[in-house]
Amino acid sequence: MIPQREIFWNIPWVWPFYLLSFISVFIFFYGLLKHILFWKEGIKKQRIRLLLKGIKDVVIDGIFAKRIFKGDISAGIMHLSLFWGFFGLFLGTILLALDHYLISFLKGKPYLLFSCTLELFGLMLIYGLVTAFVRRYIQRIKRLENKTEDLIVILWLLLIAITGFLLEGVRVAYQVPAWGKWSFVGFIIGNIFSRQTALEIYPFIWWTHVLLSLSLISAIPFSKLFHIMGSPISIYLNSEPLQITPAEDREGRFFYLKDLVQLDVCTRCGRCVEVCPSNGVGEPFSPRDILFMLKERLFLHRDKEFDPGLIWYCTTCGACLEVCPIYVAPFRIIRQLRSQEIEDGTRVPPIMIQTLERLYKYNNPWLSTKKKRAEWAKDMDITNITKAKERGLMCYFVGCTTSHDIRAQEIARSFSNILKRCGIRFGILGKKEPCCGDIARRLGEDGLFEDQMEDCLSLFEEYEIKEIVTSSPHCFYTMRQEYPALKKGYALSVIHYSMLLESLIKDGKLRFEKELRLKVTYHDPCYLGRHNGIFDAPRNVIKAIPGIELIEMEHNRENSLCCGGGGGRMWQEELDVELKMSERRIMEAHNTGAEIVITCCPLCLIMLEDARKTKELEGSIKVMDLSELVLMAINRRRS
Amino acid sequence: MNIVVCIKQVPDVTEADLKINKDGDDIVKDDLEMVINEWDNYAVEEAVRIKERHGGKIIVVTLGDEDSEDILRRALAMGADEAIRIDEEGFEGSDAKGISLALYHAIRDLDFDLILTGAQSSDVAWGQVGVLLAQMLNIPYATLAMGIEIREEKAVVKRELESNMFERVELSLPALITIQTGINEPRYVSIMGIRRVRRLKIEEKDMDDLEISQDSVGSSGSIIESKRVSFPLEGEGAEILTGSMDEICERLTQIIREKGGM
Amino acid sequence: MPGILVLVEGRKGELRDISFEMLNLANRIAKQEDLSVHALLLESEEKGFLDKLISLCNKIIKISAPSLRDYSPEPYIKAIISAVEAVSPDIIMIGHTSLGMDLGPALSEALSIPLITDCIDVRFKDNRLYASRQIYGGKIHSELLIKAHNKYIVTIRPGTFEPVYELGMSADIMEIQMPEWDVPAKRRFLEYIEERIDDIDINSADILVSIGRGIGKPENIPVVQRFADEIGALLSCSRPVADKGWLPKSRQVGTSGKIVKPKIYIALGISGAFQHQVGMKNSKTIIAVNKDPKAPIFNIAHYGVVADMFQVLPVLEEKLKKDA
Repeated sequence: MIPQREIFWNIPWVWPFYLLSFISVFIFFYGLLKHILFWKEGIKKQRIRLLLKGIKDVVIDGIFAKRIFKGDISAGIMHLSLFWGFFGLFLGTILLALDHYLISFLKGKPYLLFSCTLELFGLMLIYGLVTAFVRRYIQRIKRLENKTEDLIVILWLLLIAITGFLLEGVRVAYQVPAWGKWSFVGFIIGNIFSRQTALEIYPFIWWTHVLLSLSLISAIPFSKLFHIMGSPISIYLNSEPLQITPAEDREGRFFYLKDLVQLDVCTRCGRCVEVCPSNGVGEPFSPRDILFMLKERLFLHRDKEFDPGLIWYCTTCGACLEVCPIYVAPFRIIRQLRSQEIEDGTRVPPIMIQTLERLYKYNNPWLSTKKKRAEWAKDMDITNITKAKERGLMCYFVGCTTSHDIRAQEIARSFSNILKRCGIRFGILGKKEPCCGDIARRLGEDGLFEDQMEDCLSLFEEYEIKEIVTSSPHCFYTMRQEYPALKKGYALSVIHYSMLLESLIKDGKLRFEKELRLKVTYHDPCYLGRHNGIFDAPRNVIKAIPGIELIEMEHNRENSLCCGGGGGRMWQEELDVELKMSERRIMEAHNTGAEIVITCCPLCLIMLEDARKTKELEGSIKVMDLSELVLMAINRRRS
Repeated sequence: MNIVVCIKQVPDVTEADLKINKDGDDIVKDDLEMVINEWDNYAVEEAVRIKERHGGKIIVVTLGDEDSEDILRRALAMGADEAIRIDEEGFEGSDAKGISLALYHAIRDLDFDLILTGAQSSDVAWGQVGVLLAQMLNIPYATLAMGIEIREEKAVVKRELESNMFERVELSLPALITIQTGINEPRYVSIMGIRRVRRLKIEEKDMDDLEISQDSVGSSGSIIESKRVSFPLEGEGAEILTGSMDEICERLTQIIREKGGM
Repeated sequence: MPGILVLVEGRKGELRDISFEMLNLANRIAKQEDLSVHALLLESEEKGFLDKLISLCNKIIKISAPSLRDYSPEPYIKAIISAVEAVSPDIIMIGHTSLGMDLGPALSEALSIPLITDCIDVRFKDNRLYASRQIYGGKIHSELLIKAHNKYIVTIRPGTFEPVYELGMSADIMEIQMPEWDVPAKRRFLEYIEERIDDIDINSADILVSIGRGIGKPENIPVVQRFADEIGALLSCSRPVADKGWLPKSRQVGTSGKIVKPKIYIALGISGAFQHQVGMKNSKTIIAVNKDPKAPIFNIAHYGVVADMFQVLPVLEEKLKKDA
């Protein structure tokens, strides 16, 4: 007898199976359709293209689930075995169907291999499920929030797997085929049944197994299992470059396709909550909760109670995106939500209103005047591009905070001094410098952002500026990534000053003659590091100074801890928390034993300086900008 | 509830370095940003809230030059339905009564249940226009409102007196109420919101439309014969401490310990 | 009889200070120009105010009626018109209070008399009225000459003049009947509301550290709070800070907040608009810190520092800690 499987063996009436299958598949597609229709409610005017990177990501992050291993290897193993086990069995069932209805190929050796592999998959599935259960209910892993659904899904799948093996065991117990040992699990189980019992109970187990499986299929779009379909889509969409639709073309919609898919498909794993700096210091904010609230309201149409003040906590640091296994970006979705709240206007915190109105009238969020913008350059003899005859100069775009905050002004002065010493020709825009639009954009005021972008671009065009260097990673991000997303044919070269310093060192134009013996640590600004991928340039600059010892903090590079200043947080109401984000970070810096913490962002500088005072670390550690360190190092030459 | 809101455009002087003009009768306003008078902004917000509760229409009115269309559009974006601008030509130099006359002529034929104005303006702070307008229209009024409730055909106004003291008065409608700051939290008006009302037509009226005689308004109608402005006498009171921050704080410490008996 | 008619105001059974401040000003003008001073007392029942006023003016005009018990413009205007008809004053003086702001313009319209509000000084010479006012939030001083008229109404800013309680005069008392009228009042007084907010009473502090708009954002408040704690002071504020909800209203110092008289009042980032000044100018020692050298607060402070408060605070705190 050739090894094979007769799929409807011992099942007298098969037609209910077809009926049930049809119903279950219908319900599945109905549910799937609901999701798709929901996703289509996004902002129109988007392009989705076929991208190789996207496909590559789906394979590596979808099928091999590489990101799930990040930071939690046991999770990776658990999920991989569960996923491959499930998928393997699923594929197996498909092959059996093909074999039965189309071409019979599962005979003989292929069948044996098939049978054995399925055993393995089944075991993997059970292993994955048991591990999942243990992680949730025995280990009680903190970031996993356990809802009823989570338990039901585990038990359900477990039941399917068990009834599957049971079924096999009972069949083998009755048929006693020569190749029975290849279905080794079933073989072992089968031993407990007598042939007679086996024959009698087989149909019951079969129908149980079928019902459980078919109802699982119908339940997929209505449960967390939907992430099976949704995750690859979320992973794929991540490879799409940043797209921004002009506010006028939004047509009353505030979320993109990607946002809706992401908030729909989130499996609530909680990694984002784990790394969220706001949540980490005890603030009542949780990116997962906001996404879930949105899903409840927008997709499930349940009017869930929700405190609109919570959405202003997000610093947009991007730590969530960094760890999400399927590239969900809560901070982007929250930004979109903010743009909706801005349009409504009635739930915007008064302090935000004041900031935005000041931005609108005076091009900066700090002072109610445009006149003080170039005060820092008062005694410095720097070319003002708007008054000079020369065209095409490299423009040092200073930014609002650096221009107005007394401490941050040192960045501008130090950097300008460095450029002068290296003989680099540059100019500033002086009082005419507009805001780059970052703050408006982070707060969701897209109309204002667009106006400010236009102001910048027309100014650049008027003075034929093609090259921009900026000392704020926020301006850097906005001009380098967001302007091109809105403006076709955008041809400006925008770099952050750390990159310029690095190239000056490489070219030999910036040299350090004497040693500067200092122990320093470096704080990666979110908008330079995570959002722009610049981790090495500042480090290379620091390390180029002889005598400097660079110690890394516990959270560095992509895992850097946000200082708490971005995303409009600088203007958020004071909260009664035990610890501020900036305080947590300055303590981490202090714990490295470094004398100075170096950063290259004006907001980080101010936040860390404040924290240094409130945590009474003034005697223990200093906060300096990279430019100040470099200037200090080149000034060594004289002493 | 049909509501008319009277608003005014004023210069933003919070952080400006003011300069006096060569005639010595006002400050130089060219460098200054013009904004809606803060009290009037609260009034617009209050009107929108009343409309949200009771339905109706809001008409905003201002007396000003073309630039003052900005504040009208802001009010439209906040929730007002129509806007009227009385062109200021001929009204320059008006005192409170002159302004009230202009508003009176523009408003008297409108259909309204309530008129809201700010209690005063941040520039010249006369604090008279609202009440004068009410008297001209012969309607009841109340000033310094910190809360308004509409009950049947009456408005119940919570007025701010002094030091945490308030009173409640009842006005039969139509009535005029002047609004005190802090009555509510004005909503944010987004750029998109303003862009959306960009195309709404603002009704324009001038002196002739209103049939006002020139000598009842402007400088001829004003009670003021002459006006001279100056900076308040500086340093008349304080002993300004100088020196390094260290020295100054040393001195301050001394003062605080002496005078505070710490 | 040429003269100045001063409308006195009472609250909770007492004559308010503004009444005595106005009588000071009125008598000063009267002496210079040889005028009489008439105090107009509107009340519903005898409150014992006559004794307090008798030495401060030439005549007390008293009108009593139930409709005058709680301020409402219609009855008040009726009463004042009778008084004006009786003595025909040149100047009618009212306080720039919640009552004066409500009454003044209506009175002006009813009598067709020009009204100048919120005066910090008034001069009357050859029947011409000169008024001093502050505009643009107190940043600019304005001197006005009013066109000639036979009468004027002025409202006087509370707290500008010193109150006087005794001038050695002997006033006649004239009682006027409240005219009858039966036009139904379109405005009706309902009730008073006193709001007590459960919070620390800033009146109990010896030292107050007060913040104004210069604080910038509420996130900066804890730094100041820490400084205040360090020196055993309470935190108070000016109106804009309370309006925005950054501190409770009970911490507000000024005409619509509390009047305080601590040993030391440290004003940080407060420009010193007059409404605020009234609330704290009687403090024994006033220290003002403000970036703007032209801030009006420096006019009434004893010591001033022209600097950013966030530069002063850490150094000051350090020194006070060392001394402690």
